[in-house]
Amino acid sequence: MAELQSTLSQPLASQKNKLRRQQAEDSWQLFRGHRTGMIGLALIAIFTLLAASHPMLMSTVWDRRRYDPIVGFDMAYFPHPSPPSIEHLLGTDNYGRDVLSQLLFGARVSFGVGLTAGLVAAVLSTLLGGAAGFIGGQIDQLLMGLADVAVLMPAPVVLLIFGLLVRMEWPAMGILYGLLTGAGAQAIIVKSQTLALRAKPYIEAAQAAGGGRLHIFRRHVLPGLLPLTAVNLFLTVVGAVLTESLLSYFNRTRVDLSWGTMIWLGQETFRRHTMEGQWHAILPPALAIMLFCSAFYLVGRALDEVLNPRLRAR
Amino acid sequence: MARRLVRGLVALVLFQTILFALIHSLPGDFASIAGAFGGRAARAAIQHRLGLDEPLGRQYLDWLWRVAHLDFGESFFYSPERVTDVLLARAPRTLLVFLSAAVLSYALGLWLGKQVAWRRGGRLELATTVASVAAHTSFAPWLGFLALNIFAWNLGWFPYQNLINFNHWLEADISVDAILLRMVISAGLIFAAGLSSAVTVRRVRQRGRRLAVRAMIIFASLLACFTWWARSGYASLALDVSAHLALPLGTVVLLSFGETLLTMRATMLETMGADHVTAARARGLPESSLRDRHVARVAMLPVLSRLLLSLPFVLVGSLVIERVFFWQAMGQVLFNAIEYQDLPLIVGVLSLVGALVLLSHILLDVLYLILDPRLRYG
Repeated sequence: MAELQSTLSQPLASQKNKLRRQQAEDSWQLFRGHRTGMIGLALIAIFTLLAASHPMLMSTVWDRRRYDPIVGFDMAYFPHPSPPSIEHLLGTDNYGRDVLSQLLFGARVSFGVGLTAGLVAAVLSTLLGGAAGFIGGQIDQLLMGLADVAVLMPAPVVLLIFGLLVRMEWPAMGILYGLLTGAGAQAIIVKSQTLALRAKPYIEAAQAAGGGRLHIFRRHVLPGLLPLTAVNLFLTVVGAVLTESLLSYFNRTRVDLSWGTMIWLGQETFRRHTMEGQWHAILPPALAIMLFCSAFYLVGRALDEVLNPRLRAR
Repeated sequence: MARRLVRGLVALVLFQTILFALIHSLPGDFASIAGAFGGRAARAAIQHRLGLDEPLGRQYLDWLWRVAHLDFGESFFYSPERVTDVLLARAPRTLLVFLSAAVLSYALGLWLGKQVAWRRGGRLELATTVASVAAHTSFAPWLGFLALNIFAWNLGWFPYQNLINFNHWLEADISVDAILLRMVISAGLIFAAGLSSAVTVRRVRQRGRRLAVRAMIIFASLLACFTWWARSGYASLALDVSAHLALPLGTVVLLSFGETLLTMRATMLETMGADHVTAARARGLPESSLRDRHVARVAMLPVLSRLLLSLPFVLVGSLVIERVFFWQAMGQVLFNAIEYQDLPLIVGVLSLVGALVLLSHILLDVLYLILDPRLRYG
């Protein structure tokens, strides 16, 4: 009884904060129990460290002339590509550039393009889908018409063909990818979720209590949409990174160097010597793309399972 | 349904409008690329020939009118061929890879997903999850390169790259595309036989007999196809094409089965705890019947929608893989178009992709009406 008294005497705001913290902690506990999700999270952490380590290594240990990912060249080694050695842990590519340095540099590009696309798609789909589902009427018609058109333009194809018209830097690519995916299929999914949320009794209760439309949307609908937004974010990253690599592989971007370019260069060494190739130049970027995308995919899937109560029960 | 069609049509018109606006907002026009070396007079002549000297509104209406008649003009690279003809001529080649890859990867994903979900936990689940995630997130050209390296170069099981081995075709009196078309048709017939067998055996009560009937129907259709090919005398040519098809097809399947498997597994797990499954188990039904008829059939609905929505991505995957394996088809056309700035062809490919997506969405709505009784009676 005394405990109840003390809780009731606290101000409402701190109560709310406490509740929210409790919820976040519960979700985290659930996520921690998800094996593959944790593997994905660990991989993302590793890649973050790798991407962050590149500028540090460049400014301290690595000599810029020999280790620069784009214009570096090591004259002590001949011929290039040279196999892994103490100084070049993953060897060098056909232009005499350090593969490890390139790999770390590529991680930055992948993070950039992936997170840009993911954020744009997640925010856009939540806003468009939420507005369409919550407001309804003509706005709904308009936004869903927009989504119908966006759905007809799958982002990889459009980006591949856009590469012809304008060679893009990675931020433009990420934003365009995010716009196309966010306004299309994802907005439609978010809308159906909003419709399901709107039918919940607590929304009605909030309306009866005199809550304004904006207030209800912000405080009661948006939190319900957040899980879906998070899932969308992580799954968009996968597609965006793969598409960026594809474009770079076909030399359709203005990105100096990314994992896609590295794979193309590694493949070149094979074409020249037909049978024998430089596996040390092609394996690292190929595995990096796979692990990077797997990490985001696994976390997205795990979030889907953890935050979706129907799947959680078992 | 009518409303759905109207919405689709509106979306298509808007889509074409965006394409039109995009093309016309580019610096220069069709003529500035086509007539770059011909001087001013040549440029004016080309502009007149393509109708670019008319007012913009008139051009827009013309554009829509021509698109409605599937006329995208003349290709620059393959001139004087029309874009529609260029694409149509290569359609069987791409369809063979794309459709069979879609069917195979969906079948594989659905079946594996079902099995994995039923035996939840343990090594099998972890192994399949890891394998399918790894395959799903692999970089398409890299996977193709790896397949070429292992199976064509080192093991020598398959011929590498290209559509055919020209040495086998020197005396052939039939074109590659005609053979390909026949292969598409026979693959479609076998697929239809398999599907219809699944429908016809529903009435048969006994499980053993059901399997026997199914096997008989599929066997009969295979036999019919084989005799047809053997009698036509083109069997060796078809085998040559199949040998070249194996690697690209396998790669596309590998790239696209993972998503299906994971989705199927998730929805299976969701359905397995449903009340009707518990009730069926309490009635003493065998586990396999529970799995196939009470869980898998319900779980398949949401997976089906994901599948149809992922169809364009399978298409993109197969176009890229075609390029990697030098499978001379629509993928090659697309990359040539990009390389040589063949704008009419690009517009044609984009419109085709858009139409395919729209078609799959409408198909999805129809399928839902057929498969989900709640929508019909609700």
